[in-house]
Amino acid sequence: MWKHNIKLTFRNFKRNKTSFLINLIGLSTGLACALLIYLWVNDEMNIDKFHAQDDQLFQVVQNYERTEGIRSRAITPAYFSKEMKDALPEVIYATPTNNEYNFTEPGIISLGEKDVKARPLFAGKDYFNVFSFPLLQGDKDQVLVDKNAVVISEELATKVFNSTENVVGKMIRWEHDVFDGEFLISGIFKKLPESSTEQFDVVLNYEHALDPFEESRNWWSDAARTFFILKKGTDLQQFNKKLTTILRSKPYRENCSMFAQQFSTRYLHGQYENGEISGGRISYVNLFSLIAIFLLIIACVNFMNLSTARASTRMKEVGVKKTTGASRWNLIAQFLTESILMVGLSFVFSLVLISMFLPQFNEITNKQLDLNISSQTLFSILSIVILTGLLAGSYPAFYLSGFKPVNVLKGKLNNLFGEKWIRKGLVVFQFSMSVIFIVSFLIINQQINFIQKKQLGYDKSNIVCFTSKGQASNKLESFLNQIKRIPAVESATNIEGGGFMGNKNNGTAPTWEGVPVTQQMMVPRPHVGYDYLKTLGVELIEGRSFSKEFSNEEDNVIINESAAKLIGYENPVGRFLYRGSDYKIQIIGVVKDFHNESLHKKIKPTFIRFQPTGKDIMVKIKPGQEVATIQKLKKTYEEFHAGFPFEFTFLDDEYQNMYESETKVAALANYAAGVAIMVSCLGLFGLAMFTTERRRKEIGIRKVLGSSVFGIVRMLTSDFTKTVFIAILISIPISFFIAKSWMANFAYGIKLSWWLFLVPSLVVLLVAWITVGMQTVKAASVNPVHSLKDE
Amino acid sequence: MIIRTKSLNKVYRTDEVQTTALNDLSIEINQGEFVSIMGPSGCGKSTLMNILGMIDSPSSGEYFFMENEVGGLSERKRSDVRKNNLGFVFQSFNLIDELTVFENVELPMMYTKVPSAERKKRTEALLEEMNMMHRRNHFPQQLSGGQQQRVAVARAIVNNPKLILADEPTGNLDSANGDDVMKILADLNSKGTTIVMVTHSQYCAEFGNRIIRLLDGQVVTENVVRQFL
Repeated sequence: MWKHNIKLTFRNFKRNKTSFLINLIGLSTGLACALLIYLWVNDEMNIDKFHAQDDQLFQVVQNYERTEGIRSRAITPAYFSKEMKDALPEVIYATPTNNEYNFTEPGIISLGEKDVKARPLFAGKDYFNVFSFPLLQGDKDQVLVDKNAVVISEELATKVFNSTENVVGKMIRWEHDVFDGEFLISGIFKKLPESSTEQFDVVLNYEHALDPFEESRNWWSDAARTFFILKKGTDLQQFNKKLTTILRSKPYRENCSMFAQQFSTRYLHGQYENGEISGGRISYVNLFSLIAIFLLIIACVNFMNLSTARASTRMKEVGVKKTTGASRWNLIAQFLTESILMVGLSFVFSLVLISMFLPQFNEITNKQLDLNISSQTLFSILSIVILTGLLAGSYPAFYLSGFKPVNVLKGKLNNLFGEKWIRKGLVVFQFSMSVIFIVSFLIINQQINFIQKKQLGYDKSNIVCFTSKGQASNKLESFLNQIKRIPAVESATNIEGGGFMGNKNNGTAPTWEGVPVTQQMMVPRPHVGYDYLKTLGVELIEGRSFSKEFSNEEDNVIINESAAKLIGYENPVGRFLYRGSDYKIQIIGVVKDFHNESLHKKIKPTFIRFQPTGKDIMVKIKPGQEVATIQKLKKTYEEFHAGFPFEFTFLDDEYQNMYESETKVAALANYAAGVAIMVSCLGLFGLAMFTTERRRKEIGIRKVLGSSVFGIVRMLTSDFTKTVFIAILISIPISFFIAKSWMANFAYGIKLSWWLFLVPSLVVLLVAWITVGMQTVKAASVNPVHSLKDE
Repeated sequence: MIIRTKSLNKVYRTDEVQTTALNDLSIEINQGEFVSIMGPSGCGKSTLMNILGMIDSPSSGEYFFMENEVGGLSERKRSDVRKNNLGFVFQSFNLIDELTVFENVELPMMYTKVPSAERKKRTEALLEEMNMMHRRNHFPQQLSGGQQQRVAVARAIVNNPKLILADEPTGNLDSANGDDVMKILADLNSKGTTIVMVTHSQYCAEFGNRIIRLLDGQVVTENVVRQFL
């Protein structure tokens, strides 16, 4: 029977070449999109999942209760892991590592003449018991016990020693801008998988992360991330309470609490709200998955519609088979075989499309996905293919097999009315999705355009950013002076604490008269050197900038308009703010509000402090002289930073990076909208073709009776126009709702004007008209003699 | 007795019109008979054939097939009775366009789960008998009307049915081809297969041994056909 079904399927494909091609193109495009997204989703879902004790591997997250709400961060005091391991028997292993704010820059591993860049990790002795990074050499209980021991990666060993053999026991030199030293190699770990968020080349004893910053050992500092293996079956709620009890028994931690989060879930669920996990990248995984499912459904709808529209041509077959003894299930099996084979063929074709578009897709998603997939993934992909086949084939199969032989042999289709409505409903669904995709595409692109053109309150053009590394920080002032002497350099400044705009340097705000000391809030507090305002072109409204002409600038502050408004001083310049009860700082200037954070956030009250030792440097260059000036900057940099390469970015690019996810979604929306409209139109084309074919006789009679070509085109097109129009009416409120929720992520953005919804609607309508029009004009132009003759 | 109907009624209803196709119709057909059913268009011939062929059910009344009541059976059970006992020949041949001559004839045996080798043997034997072997790999569109009907007859008898229902089997054929088909049916009947045939042609009807005439869904006359030597 299977052989019979398969044979019949291929003969049907051959006989109905147009619908076969429409289905092949539609389904393979839909499948290619869905499978590409599946590869991405699968990759995302497997990040950090490879650890042997994945379900027991946890990380501590700390909640800080502030006036403006609870803030959660996955950092802890340096010795918290030791404390919890000693106090809680359910903790099997625990280890600290350096937090994500310190030691973000790589250091240099040297052996003789060889210098190799290496990303460091500072970890406790049980690190390799907590994480399953296999050691090629060395004992995981011992490798980090000795303070001067280091464990290096397989690749690093190969680069430095040309081999991984006989490396343990050798000495290497470590150079970093924070500290240098000689270390004994105690182990080699295997290349870290790409699906690991933890990426490093060398692991040093955690104590080295604390030595340069004495204060980081204190309980008020959060110098660690804490990971641990928890006993199976532990009640997490109770355990979290115990963590908080331990933490609160320490000084300065009365307003903090803690909870344990499974480590591998942090990648996708890394955002917190009100002290609880609230989402993160998972929202993109969900969004992309949803897009994939919809694209696939749109493609399946074509198959359903074309199969049922062609029902009249299959009627006789169904009738004859039923009278000769076929059961309904025999026929369902036959039609499902047909749809699964169709999808199977489309799958083969989609693999070609995938291999063509994979490089572009990797660029959008920043991944290295390929088609070398595991047997498990292959199984999932084949399941998707079969499910798609069943989905596409189910309705036609049940519909066609339900024909009553007595009716179909008489040439009557039963339930024609219901069938027509289902088909229209499916077209409405397809076109609604197309409109929604196009509206999304338009709005995302408009918003990105808005982001590019927005007046930010500072000028981000022609600003080169780089970091001073190694021991050069001691000569920072002369280095900056040297830079300023380069002719095309307009200005240069330096900032402390990550992020060239100083936007990562948040902290508690100072207080002012009339505000109790306990009422603290988190605000941006960039710590900057001289010429910060000049370099960025931030406008000073009142007072002055930090200047060499004044001493004790550390005791002064420049505030923005929002801060001035919050504080409420009538003439703020010259007035004082307070840190604690005995330390006051004077306001020396007020600047216009500027966007020192991304446009997702409202401009916050900002307190700019003076700190001349910041290592992140920004240099403003005269336009048109970038190339030559960067060469000169490079030369100067290398003079002051022997051994460190000059690595720079433009502030413009840093700005773009803040909108990386939007740009990604935009690119995807772009493709999704294109595919949706293309596949929908293919389907409409097929439907129009069948409808005009079925109405050939009617068209002929109408023409004989005097109807014009235009009249017939209008008659044939009006039905489709109504369907697409309904789709537009349904999709506009839905897309408005989606657009509004997406725009809620931005504090500053475009207005949702009516034309953003009208234009996509018109585009869809126009494309539908062209698609249907091509068919109808052809049908209407046929000489009625031909259409009436063979009836 | 192979067929016995008691007070069969079939009423078609649309929104506004009610049509009575069969009106209190009772007939009996014995095993081995060749019965022709005649009557003007709309007299209920085809409706009767559909009910006898179990592809339609009566509005009321009883239908005994081989002494079992089948009028009220479910679609699935009717399908079972059908595939094991009945063969159909239609006016418009109703061959499946996507299947070759061989495959069309073989089809009913697939639903009765006849093994592949046996299917091949029986199909080839029948095609030989119908003089269609040389066309075994052709598709229906490549055949003449007479050839198509011979294939359709072969398909109808391939499962050795007890009853063949032929709905105007010669209606679409010229007289020479029509004659051929009638001879095949008569031959089958002479070998013991019961045949019920609807026809407009007195000539064809006389190939059978009894003629039932219908008018407005009722039997008006029943004649035994006199056989001349």
